[in-house]
Amino acid sequence: MKVLVAMSGGVDSSVAAALLVQQGHQVIGATMQVWDYCDLEAGSGSCCSSLDVDDARSVADRLNIPFYVINCEAQFKTSVIDPFVQSYLQGQTPVPCVNCNTFLKFDYLIKKMHELECDYLATGHYASIENSGETPTIITSEDSYKDQTYFLFTLQKSVLKHLMFPIGHLKKPQVRILAEEFGLINARKKDSTGICFVGKGDYAEFVSRHADPASLKPGLIRRHPEGEILGRHNGIHHFTYGQRRGLGMDYHETLFVLSTDPKTNTVWVGDEKFLYSKELSLKDCNWLDSLPLDEDVTVKIRYAHRGSKARIIEGSQVEGQGLGEKIKIMFHEPQRAVTPGQAAVFYRDRQLMGGGWIE
Amino acid sequence: MSSTNISSTLTSLQSTSKIYLDHNATTPLGEAARQALLNHIDEFGNPSSIHWAGRIPKMVLREARNAVAKSLNVQPLEIVFTGSASESNNLILKGVVDQLRAQGKASNTVPKILTSTVEHPSVLYTLEQIKGIEVLKVPVDRSGTLDMNFYSKALESKAVHLVSIMTANNETGSVFPIGKLGKMAHEGGALFHTDAVQALGKMELDLPRWNIDFASFSAHKFYCLKGVGVAYIKRGLELPSLIHGGGQERSRRAGTENVLGIATLGAMCGSLSAELVNEKSKYMQELRNHMESRIEKEIQGIDFHCRTQPRTPNTSHFSVQGINGESLLMALDLKGFAVSTGAACSGGSTEPSPVLLAMGFSKEEAQSSLRVSLGWRTTLEEIDRYVTVLGSTIRHLREVNL
Repeated sequence: MKVLVAMSGGVDSSVAAALLVQQGHQVIGATMQVWDYCDLEAGSGSCCSSLDVDDARSVADRLNIPFYVINCEAQFKTSVIDPFVQSYLQGQTPVPCVNCNTFLKFDYLIKKMHELECDYLATGHYASIENSGETPTIITSEDSYKDQTYFLFTLQKSVLKHLMFPIGHLKKPQVRILAEEFGLINARKKDSTGICFVGKGDYAEFVSRHADPASLKPGLIRRHPEGEILGRHNGIHHFTYGQRRGLGMDYHETLFVLSTDPKTNTVWVGDEKFLYSKELSLKDCNWLDSLPLDEDVTVKIRYAHRGSKARIIEGSQVEGQGLGEKIKIMFHEPQRAVTPGQAAVFYRDRQLMGGGWIE
Repeated sequence: MSSTNISSTLTSLQSTSKIYLDHNATTPLGEAARQALLNHIDEFGNPSSIHWAGRIPKMVLREARNAVAKSLNVQPLEIVFTGSASESNNLILKGVVDQLRAQGKASNTVPKILTSTVEHPSVLYTLEQIKGIEVLKVPVDRSGTLDMNFYSKALESKAVHLVSIMTANNETGSVFPIGKLGKMAHEGGALFHTDAVQALGKMELDLPRWNIDFASFSAHKFYCLKGVGVAYIKRGLELPSLIHGGGQERSRRAGTENVLGIATLGAMCGSLSAELVNEKSKYMQELRNHMESRIEKEIQGIDFHCRTQPRTPNTSHFSVQGINGESLLMALDLKGFAVSTGAACSGGSTEPSPVLLAMGFSKEEAQSSLRVSLGWRTTLEEIDRYVTVLGSTIRHLREVNL
């Protein structure tokens, strides 16, 4: 089979490519260029920077496969960076990796896959495809710690039959061993962490640099529920729900960020107990399979969350499509820091069912 | 999973036959060049050495210089070997400015350089880097025509010190009237330089006929090894060195000479004659024209560029409607065809070519453009195969993009 492999320069996607070559597929490697490298000072460690492209190219040379750098700068800016900045300015905490998957990896690259007459698109995601039923399903990887299915909830059903996740059945240590065996240059390379386009600075600094200066307004820090003014801040984008440190204040109680209001530029802080909630509203949901309305489902409210049981309490079945775009769920147990802008992702056992954005 | 040495289990690259149609980017070794390389491959000596080891290398240099000079109808003394045409351009542009300053000609006035908007980056970007000069750029329109009004007006005040206009453009193949431009430059009191990289091997070159003072050439664009350039400096003109050090090239360019590379250039130039270059030009032109007419007949939505003006006989440049140029290039590569797009490379991305944008092409046109450049050894069979595959590939890409 002819497979287009998205290679970031990291060890996961490199081993994915190597496995496919070993299995006898006709493999084409590609890196998405999402940022002008002259701009970003960061070397490696922040995903697709130019040193990482060199690593990907080295691996491709080692595997004797064609390798291309695909320019996605414009799409990346409109689909990932701009919404990321806007989200923070609206007082939310975004998950840009999901947008990258939605619009770039599994949209733009799928198109490239068709253009180059390939049968599959493969990535180094920790996820698995199961083909036992009528339509393929995505299930969590063998490595539950590294599992990345959280970021895949927006995938369209039509795309699943073209996907391969060659390392989904492996655990990270096994992947590194394979990389050594294959003689890949990045076998010992550190995993990239954080947001790939943010580089050296932190996300707040990035937002400050890329937002319209008029939208970066200072404001008040107030205590919930009384409304007492506790201090000032330099922009709500510096704060995220549930944050404890960095409040810039000296207070005898431990206070947490409870919400940020873009209309009044107010950051509300309060006692930890206010961070807990059971109900959750979701919008722009995407479903890979039909969710049962009368059964428990496991929901992750952020990547690092372990997942908790919940039930759907509001949501209509759309004719022929299953659940619609907006639903409400209720957790069995109160959950800490349900953060607007994050995604809530649904699982039935190990199967990825879909998810939506937390309002 | 057993321990695997993947290179032993690798399936080799798809065994598609490869067809090279990107001669404006670089060329394979010519027959004479290959012979010269093999003949001299063990001549390791330093040409500057007094002893036996330097004798033949020194002779190789001398003979190559004579051959290059003869093929351009100039004196051997006027030929300086550099490491590349980019270096030649740097040597000439920076050297002239330094010389002007040293001679005090421009002590009160800022050195004024007249160039075009479509020059190679080693001219345009170099000019940007030189401090304290004024640069005027003659526009070139999308048909490949240089704005002669602008050119003559710019020279009117006799304030221009140096003109630098390329002989032929590497992207569209457009050829500029160097003889006329050189004459006008001199009448305007300016020195004249031409980047003639794309001209060697594609047209007759008789530099004295052209009224020029400086010219740049590249060996690897003419079926020779990479790592050798030529700077033609008219006798009597003084030019400070760019690279200082030992006294090589009569102290005009330091650094132990690339003997093997220069040997290949000498051999190719030695085999060159007006008859040969005209024969090859005619050959490439016929193939190129045949290719264009088949494309016109068989593929919809192709817009050819710069055909109404003189162009190099081997180059074809056109935009393809309804597709992404990058995808077309990749798809063609996977099928074994090497061609180029209208995009330059910067920081790894594919920005639309500044030359095409300067000529008035839109970003979309620039990003969906293809450049095909034939060589002396391109065959009819290769061209015919290319057109057939180009057609099916474009049709497929258009379908996917619907």
